[in-house]
Amino acid sequence: MDFFANLALGFSVAFTPFNLVMAAAGVTLGTLIGALPGVGPVSGVALLLPLTFGMNPVSGIIMLAALYAGSMYGGTITSVLINTPGESASVVTCIDGYQMALQGRAGPALGVAAIGSFVAGTVGVVLLMLMSPLLARWALSFGPPETFALMLLGLTTVTGLTGEDPLKGYMSMVLGLMLAMAGFDIISGDARFTFGVNEMLDGVEFLPVAIGLFGLGEVLVGAEQVSDMRILRARYGLRDVMLSAADWARSRWAIVRGTVLGFVIGVLPGAGPTIASFLAYTLERKVSNRPQEFGRGAIEGVAAPESANNAASSAAFVPMLTLGIPGSATTAVMLGGLMMWGLRPGPLLFEKNPDFVWGLIASLYLANVMLLVLNIAFIPMFVRALRIPYAVLMPLIIVFCVTGAYSLNNKVWDVGVMLVFGVVGYAMKKLGYSPAALTLALVLGPLAERALRQSLIISDAGVAIFFMRPISAVLTLLALAAVAVPAARALRQAVRGRARAAAA
Amino acid sequence: MRRADQLAGGGLLLLGLGFAVAGLRSYTYWSPTGPGSGFLPFWLGLTMMGLATALLVRSVRGPAADGAWLPTGPGRRKLLAVLGVTAALIAVLKITGMAVGTVLFLVAILRFVEGMRWPSTLAIAVGTAAANYLIFARWLRVPFPEGVLGF
Repeated sequence: MDFFANLALGFSVAFTPFNLVMAAAGVTLGTLIGALPGVGPVSGVALLLPLTFGMNPVSGIIMLAALYAGSMYGGTITSVLINTPGESASVVTCIDGYQMALQGRAGPALGVAAIGSFVAGTVGVVLLMLMSPLLARWALSFGPPETFALMLLGLTTVTGLTGEDPLKGYMSMVLGLMLAMAGFDIISGDARFTFGVNEMLDGVEFLPVAIGLFGLGEVLVGAEQVSDMRILRARYGLRDVMLSAADWARSRWAIVRGTVLGFVIGVLPGAGPTIASFLAYTLERKVSNRPQEFGRGAIEGVAAPESANNAASSAAFVPMLTLGIPGSATTAVMLGGLMMWGLRPGPLLFEKNPDFVWGLIASLYLANVMLLVLNIAFIPMFVRALRIPYAVLMPLIIVFCVTGAYSLNNKVWDVGVMLVFGVVGYAMKKLGYSPAALTLALVLGPLAERALRQSLIISDAGVAIFFMRPISAVLTLLALAAVAVPAARALRQAVRGRARAAAA
Repeated sequence: MRRADQLAGGGLLLLGLGFAVAGLRSYTYWSPTGPGSGFLPFWLGLTMMGLATALLVRSVRGPAADGAWLPTGPGRRKLLAVLGVTAALIAVLKITGMAVGTVLFLVAILRFVEGMRWPSTLAIAVGTAAANYLIFARWLRVPFPEGVLGF
């Protein structure tokens, strides 16, 4: 039994004292990062990535994955108690979660979110464990055309789905690919777009860009807002978060539906936990026999999206580990981390680094257990952390950004790159561009370029090669559809808008 | 936002043009074995030019009245102050070293931008610099910039 041997290997890796400490640190920091508005899982992973350089990659990914899972739990606390989402996958939880808190039911809202998250997170890891090896084995047969088509699909779906404005999303993606062109060309050895600067020979490094866009950029957006957060007075002690039989009866199927939907969405390249949580909420309202209660404190309205975002965050590892295509912005940053640790993401990871893959999977089980305990018994501790004023938090995050960027190569140049992309990230966020699409393109750019050029070298028919092999044809057509559908919709809207203007 | 879209569209149009030209002229578009180092930059440049043109067209036709995207009043002052102090920290990093730089940075932000009182400002600044040093320089062995004082 290959499978059980692998799982046993995973647990033997996960249960080493250092990895246990890393998982515990990851879940605690993750819950905190999820709970604090203004820092989400992407910023958290980007900021902590430098800490993992000196570690074994397994320990590094364990901490980052635990942090990702934790942020999905922690976001709920802020949504329910402050009516401000701690991170984007908990936006929809505000609707019914805050209403429940206003009615004095903050406890059950937090309780059902923790239990739903645990069920969904755990089921998500089971599915991840069963599905990934099969997918990886299938992907082993991929040649350059399939690889390129897959990357194209990942890039176009992320872009089409993450931003509010598809046009600006695609501009962000192309900008990311352009940045990826800088530095030595691996095939010809040409130095491209270096402008005579020595530091540019290695290209635009991913880490300072990610820290700038998601760390400093987010902080700058927060800095200009003069806000006062009011934390609702509520009871969330151990006894208050327990669910009554009636609450449980209402929420258990919502948890199941949220889990299934969340996993399916999360596996798709490009669609992550945020989209999953919105869809789960919509689905739940549709199937409910009391839709009028949604928006007025329906417990299903918390249970479904909170389950969905956790299932999706586990599922996002499937395409990242097996195909090397991230399913969300957070896994895109992790993918960058994988490359920095010297691992090659993709199907070979399962054969060459079983301790890494299975150690990660086993740690995700442990992380979910730790998180259930943390989010049932220690909610008051995290609420206290929410009282840290943003005025203090903001400069501390900047110090962390500066140190993290510096520690990459011990060069001030990287800190400067971080600063530039902090300003770029601020502007992108304010103007509706997509930093996530840029990051993904920067990470995938060099791999996509190599696959594209190798495909064209082996092809006798130019770009037609992408349509002549069945798998790559399907993937390419899907990628083209991901561009064409939103473009057609935007065009139709523009035409209709002009017709209306002409009629008026 | 409309003005910002026009500026971004114009800038990215030029960037696209630069990439397309560089792809053809500075680098090899097609080598004897297949696509060269200029191949993808050329097509990326062309794509960006198309997207930027679409943005420009849309912003010219779009509604004229819309809100400003940059903050005004206290929000703008604070944003510029934070950005300025951060840039200053990076500029003097090699002179002050990481530890002293961090303390100065935090004092500047906490005391002079946020108006925090001296005792808490100093406690947070020194505490953070020490923690930062212990984590990165001692535990992770990152050789911090040391500065003229030698630490």
